[in-house]
Amino acid sequence: MITALGTYLPPWGGPGGTRRPGPDEDAITIAVAAGRRALDAPHPEVARVVLVTRDLPLLEGGNGAVLLAGLGLGRDVEVVEQVGGAPATLDAVSTASPGTLVIGADCTPATGAAAALVGGGGGGGGGGGTVTPAGRVTRSLPLRVRDLGGTVREDEDPRLQRERGLRASLSAAGLPGKPVSLAGVGHRDGAAFCEGDPPVLPTVGASAALFSLAALAERGAGGLVAAIEQATFSAVRWDPSGVALHRDEPAPREMPARRSSPGPEIKIAFTAYDRAFDAKLGWEAGRCGSCATLAFPARHRCLTCGSEGDAVMVPLPRTGSVYTTTTVHVPVPGLETPYTLAVVELDDVGVRALVTVTDSPPGSLEIGDRGRLLLRRVAIRAGVPDYGYAFSPGEVAR
Amino acid sequence: MRRVAIVGAGMTPFAEHFDLGIKELLPMAVSEMAESVDKGLDRADIDAAWFGELATTDGFPAGILADSCGLLDIPVTHVENACATGQDALRNAVFGVASGLMDVALVVGADKVRETSARSTFWDWMGMTRDMAWDYPLGLVAPANFALHVRRYLHEAPATREHMAMIAVKNHHHAMSNPKAHLHQEITVEQVLGAPMVVEPFGLYDCTPQSDGAAALLVVGEEVVDRFTHRPVWVRGIGLGLDRVMHQHKADMTTFPPTTKAAKAAYAMSGLGPRDLDVAEVHDCFTGVELISYEDLGLAERFRGHELVEAHDTTVGGRIPVNPSGGLKAKGHPPGATGVAQCVELFEQIRGEASNQVDGARVGLAHNIGGPTAVSAVTVLSADRS
Repeated sequence: MITALGTYLPPWGGPGGTRRPGPDEDAITIAVAAGRRALDAPHPEVARVVLVTRDLPLLEGGNGAVLLAGLGLGRDVEVVEQVGGAPATLDAVSTASPGTLVIGADCTPATGAAAALVGGGGGGGGGGGTVTPAGRVTRSLPLRVRDLGGTVREDEDPRLQRERGLRASLSAAGLPGKPVSLAGVGHRDGAAFCEGDPPVLPTVGASAALFSLAALAERGAGGLVAAIEQATFSAVRWDPSGVALHRDEPAPREMPARRSSPGPEIKIAFTAYDRAFDAKLGWEAGRCGSCATLAFPARHRCLTCGSEGDAVMVPLPRTGSVYTTTTVHVPVPGLETPYTLAVVELDDVGVRALVTVTDSPPGSLEIGDRGRLLLRRVAIRAGVPDYGYAFSPGEVAR
Repeated sequence: MRRVAIVGAGMTPFAEHFDLGIKELLPMAVSEMAESVDKGLDRADIDAAWFGELATTDGFPAGILADSCGLLDIPVTHVENACATGQDALRNAVFGVASGLMDVALVVGADKVRETSARSTFWDWMGMTRDMAWDYPLGLVAPANFALHVRRYLHEAPATREHMAMIAVKNHHHAMSNPKAHLHQEITVEQVLGAPMVVEPFGLYDCTPQSDGAAALLVVGEEVVDRFTHRPVWVRGIGLGLDRVMHQHKADMTTFPPTTKAAKAAYAMSGLGPRDLDVAEVHDCFTGVELISYEDLGLAERFRGHELVEAHDTTVGGRIPVNPSGGLKAKGHPPGATGVAQCVELFEQIRGEASNQVDGARVGLAHNIGGPTAVSAVTVLSADRS
């Protein structure tokens, strides 16, 4: 049973109505954005996160911990990093055990992420939509391949793809009828194989299957939902009644031009990375055990009472106002310019944070502007994505 | 504690010295200092040296100074304290001489900013001033470091970018007669405001150039002053102030608390105040920083620094000329040398032999603010012993 669906699209428009990732976004940050929306609803304790994508930032290393910290989940939660497209996400949802958060995330060719929270039978008192497996075929038609180094080779042959990929696998799956939505191909290609008026989906990869469920939930009408990737096919029967839907899909804007300049890599000190990780990714301050003074980042010695070593970590507010700001125009090696920085006064705690500014044209921020703090990839340091929180301007309640 | 005087001062030109290394610049500055000593300097009389250098070009700074200047038989101490480095080297030398343990101390400041590639300089220098996990990756480059303050200052005070531009015009004009200055170019307010934006609200002409250079002072105890000159310049007050390092911990960013602390200490030690000053060399790495510093140093009331600019009070010929040398803005800014070179300028001003002389200057102040706007040094010099 799917209790909640969450979706996220970046605010930057790309070709043909698609979205592009911001310079500080990757599959992990957009997965967190969608996942946090799905977790907006009341939910059982999440025991497992399945991330389906073909754009994992790291093939070895620390995607999982960043994902959990960004989602606010404990580090004992199982993380499955699954390489796959739309059929894989559909399979992950239809076979998930209760307490699983399934996230599909795509950076290319169109950017977006969507998440489904699979709830327990009868837990929490709320209802939810149901997905039932309806057919699956795994076949090979590798017209496009991407090797471990990221090199893509593509043999563009749309008719071969349509006939020997989609049509052949759809036929082999032996569905009882036509799907009402098809994820994994462009809208025009997919619509011909669907009945009625299939929804337009913003992506064609792993997230597209969940965008498909979300679109049908919005209409309040289910049916057979299918997903294709090359010649691999999967379908489910989707009854969306009772599912909670939370969309974070701002209207697309033109992405401002930025320039990057060559130069030395930005250094990383792994000791400092390690010491700061939990507080930096969890957006937490130290609270003095003696007088409750907040310190961000946490301090060994309390500035107010001098108490040492007894701070506990507490979450910080994720909304605030700009105290001061500046925009860097001069080229900075390793970063794209221009970029905007701000000192943000967090709501109601007397704590400020120096952060990068995101989701807005550089230089557009004013002192006093309100906004929220979101997990973003602040920099890439010697090949390592360095995540932290960035300020996204916009009206937010105090 | 006995009184201490400066009896010799010299510096290299500030410039992009691509053809000169630190091992050339150091002996050049020391020799020019020695030539300025009225009755001559026997280098064997130097008891100790303090060397301010922010970067460590060619390695081990203390040894480089001793080796390049033929000072192998005295103790040499390397001082690093961000943009307060040069003045802090002087401060330590003054303590050494004032203690009576030595009579003659050499102070040298130098930096080769243009020794590393312009591209790596950003991150090299940020590495010296930023928290490695939290701040370093954000790209808080040196101008942004100050721009966060000035943007807030412009928000709260009546000052505008035009006032900042007038400071740039003034300091460029002051540098025209200074043969040691990095920039010799008159500019207009319109040029400053129309220049490409570097880091808002700083355009190209609001920013100091990246300079190389060295400067040297000879400080001696009052009992031996007469051996060197009958025109000493007395070190009357010297102060150092600090503040929170991370910008998010600075409660009021319209002021630089390190400056107010350093100035308070220097004024108290000297028995002099802002009204006693005839001339000041103020840290103007970015124009808005000079504006805020007027207030922090007590030259103007809070949020009224711009009135000094409007009245041309801080131009040579005005009430309290600031940066007659051209300042960091036009003379240049090799950080380790900057504070020492400010005192070279004041030494010449107080002796009446500066290239852009302030008439009748007897009391002068030097000021630096730097690093992550977390350290300041203030020095008060005077023609009068007390």
